[in-house]
Amino acid sequence: MNGAREAQVLDRAILEWIAAWAKSAAQTEDEFNALALRIFSYQLRHNVPYAKFAAARGYGPSRLPAAWREIPAAPSSAFKDVTLTTFDPARAALRFQTSGTTSGATGTHYMENAQLYEAALLACFDRYMLHEPAPARYLMLVPDPSERANSSLGHMLGHVAGERARDVRWYLHAEGLDVEGALADLAAAARERIPVCIATTAFALMHLLEACAQRGVRLQLAPGSRVMETGGFKGRSRVVERETLYHQTCAALGLPLRAIVAEYGMTELTSQYYDSFASRDRELRVKAGPSWLRAYAVDLHGKPCEAGTIGRLVHVDLANRSSLIAVATDDLGYVVTSPHPDERFVLLGRPSDAPLRGCSLDAEALEARASF
Amino acid sequence: MLHSKSTLRTLPVRAIIGAVAGAAQRWSDPNFPARVRAARAIGERTGYSEPVIDYALDRLFGPMTAAAIAGAITSELGSLDVLDGFVNEQGARRTARGLDRIVIVSSRTTLGVAIVPAIFALCAKSSIIVKDRSDALAGSFFATLIAERAEFEGAASARVWDGGHDEPETSLLARADAVVAFGSDQTLAAIRARLCAGARFIGYGDRLSAGYIAREALANESNIRAVARAAANDLVLYDTEGCLSLHMIFVEAGGAIDPRCFASIFADAVQAAALEFPRGRVNAGAQLALAAVRDRAAFAAANGAAAVHAPQDLSWLITVDCSRRWPPPLLPRACIVLPVREPGEALAYLQAHRLPLEGLALEPRDARPDVLSFTLESGAAQVRAAGALQGPAIHIRHGGRPRIAEFVRWIDAVTEEHQG
Repeated sequence: MNGAREAQVLDRAILEWIAAWAKSAAQTEDEFNALALRIFSYQLRHNVPYAKFAAARGYGPSRLPAAWREIPAAPSSAFKDVTLTTFDPARAALRFQTSGTTSGATGTHYMENAQLYEAALLACFDRYMLHEPAPARYLMLVPDPSERANSSLGHMLGHVAGERARDVRWYLHAEGLDVEGALADLAAAARERIPVCIATTAFALMHLLEACAQRGVRLQLAPGSRVMETGGFKGRSRVVERETLYHQTCAALGLPLRAIVAEYGMTELTSQYYDSFASRDRELRVKAGPSWLRAYAVDLHGKPCEAGTIGRLVHVDLANRSSLIAVATDDLGYVVTSPHPDERFVLLGRPSDAPLRGCSLDAEALEARASF
Repeated sequence: MLHSKSTLRTLPVRAIIGAVAGAAQRWSDPNFPARVRAARAIGERTGYSEPVIDYALDRLFGPMTAAAIAGAITSELGSLDVLDGFVNEQGARRTARGLDRIVIVSSRTTLGVAIVPAIFALCAKSSIIVKDRSDALAGSFFATLIAERAEFEGAASARVWDGGHDEPETSLLARADAVVAFGSDQTLAAIRARLCAGARFIGYGDRLSAGYIAREALANESNIRAVARAAANDLVLYDTEGCLSLHMIFVEAGGAIDPRCFASIFADAVQAAALEFPRGRVNAGAQLALAAVRDRAAFAAANGAAAVHAPQDLSWLITVDCSRRWPPPLLPRACIVLPVREPGEALAYLQAHRLPLEGLALEPRDARPDVLSFTLESGAAQVRAAGALQGPAIHIRHGGRPRIAEFVRWIDAVTEEHQG
């Protein structure tokens, strides 16, 4: 089978897997394992930098691991250093730029088949964000995709809006956040008793709440309204702030705590996690994900940790067929054992609790300088 | 207590210097009881290993001799006598009078960094108060000074307090004639904002140090092994958390030993240095961050663009980045080796990552003109040989600033003859 044909066959299998999950059909661990290893085998033959990395770890087309947790996980930072695709990136259907850190170094996640991205996105969004009664009005405090085409967050919500919203409004533009517009539309929705879905970054939400506080605004949004918060406060030192942020949101917008859902995604992955239903009334949220997206924590040596033990998170995303199936992140977390099969892990964020003792510049300060 | 009039005003500067040197000599003895107690407290606070703390205290107090202090003052003020009264100088009479009240804030800094500005401020006969750390090193040293000469009691004090906007910090800063502060850009900006308009602010921001090894130093293996051994000490001391710790090394290609080979030799040297200076306490977050850096390097190494050297326990980490795109790791005992063809590439790296240098370890010392030019452009305040970064001499201008000149104001008494 040639590469293009093999990619088509794999994509069909992944799409079927996603569709089956969306219908809550039974899916076994063995089936997941088999599909993960097929994708890994394919990537070994078509993603040269990843194949070299895997070879250094003792794996090749003729020596595959026995289980998906043994698939070598490449660091997410590798996207900044090399092009990680199984195809000619000039043919990419989607391309998303990773966030720049120090010195503005960024990488790009190229995706060959937009169908995979869209199917994975909608299946998860439908399940974790659009439980009944689903709102039809979307208020977006995230980058407007018409202005920032390479933003994975903007693209994600642009696609959701296109497929699920009857009324969508964008407030985060190149010139900044349109707080006045957002407040006016929120007040109108509250007055008209129209449920809304607010998609926002943590920082945009913070600005919105500050504006509410300055103006003495307290709204009572219609039942069914909800907030999808993303992309902020990953450091442990900010966890308290996130709790505060959520409580302030509840107070300002008249929402119950469970109406605020944190999405956890990264440009290097095709699929996303969300706060599990079971943990939404709690301050300690557990991330839930679809059956094609798995996570485990690893220790210093890259060995999987036991449940409850903190380590660096590794994600295995079958929908990353055209890039990297296994991605090791810089985020800390621990895997949970749960009666809810989709509950995966608790996210603790970046190891920012490690201030240096001396007078050396630290990484956080360096990042701040670089972005100045 | 920050006295408005220092009790040192009537003491000749030579007597002050003598007392400081005497106290420092006692602290240079590893068995001096106050030092033993302070070393234990420093260990509890920082988690550094005993040999590292001993090294730090030796390097802090050993060079604090009367001759060295007098030499540093003379080089900046012209003579010691100007601190005791008017002297004739180029036809004019002038004196250097120490500022009345000086506050030294030593937040989040390595061992005893406040003590050096403190002794020069005392030599200027100023009244000082040091914001001490929980190990009370400055306070313990001042107690020894007071034992040397009782006049220090009314001039030198150290206290521990939480930073921020609360008392006593607010009133101390508002009343200070000069404030010396160490810390992040954010900390310095916050302190500066709380001074009165005429106060002098002497801020030492967080900085880094680098090495530059020109191809001439890479001519033979025995020489480069010696350089690697020296550089390894610069790396392991203070677990790479000081501004004079070695965070990155630029290694020129074109020598008999290539940069990757140097990195391998350097890794061996670091392993050996770690035996002499064991690593201190490191938290889990830093360990996992080290693992992330190692894994990025391992991925690039598999693709021929990097190399990585580290023991299983990640007690140190040397990475080689041929692309020069990665920032320095800024983690305990981690150093990045950056192959360059010429100094311009090193300068481009420093600028791209906006890295503020304190020290630059240079090999060989008689470097080519283009390398010497780089040392000027790099922004480093100190250029030294490998292995010498962590032993700053008393006369070195830390952060590129004078030791005593900022603690005095000049008074010129112009004679009629010269009003002309």
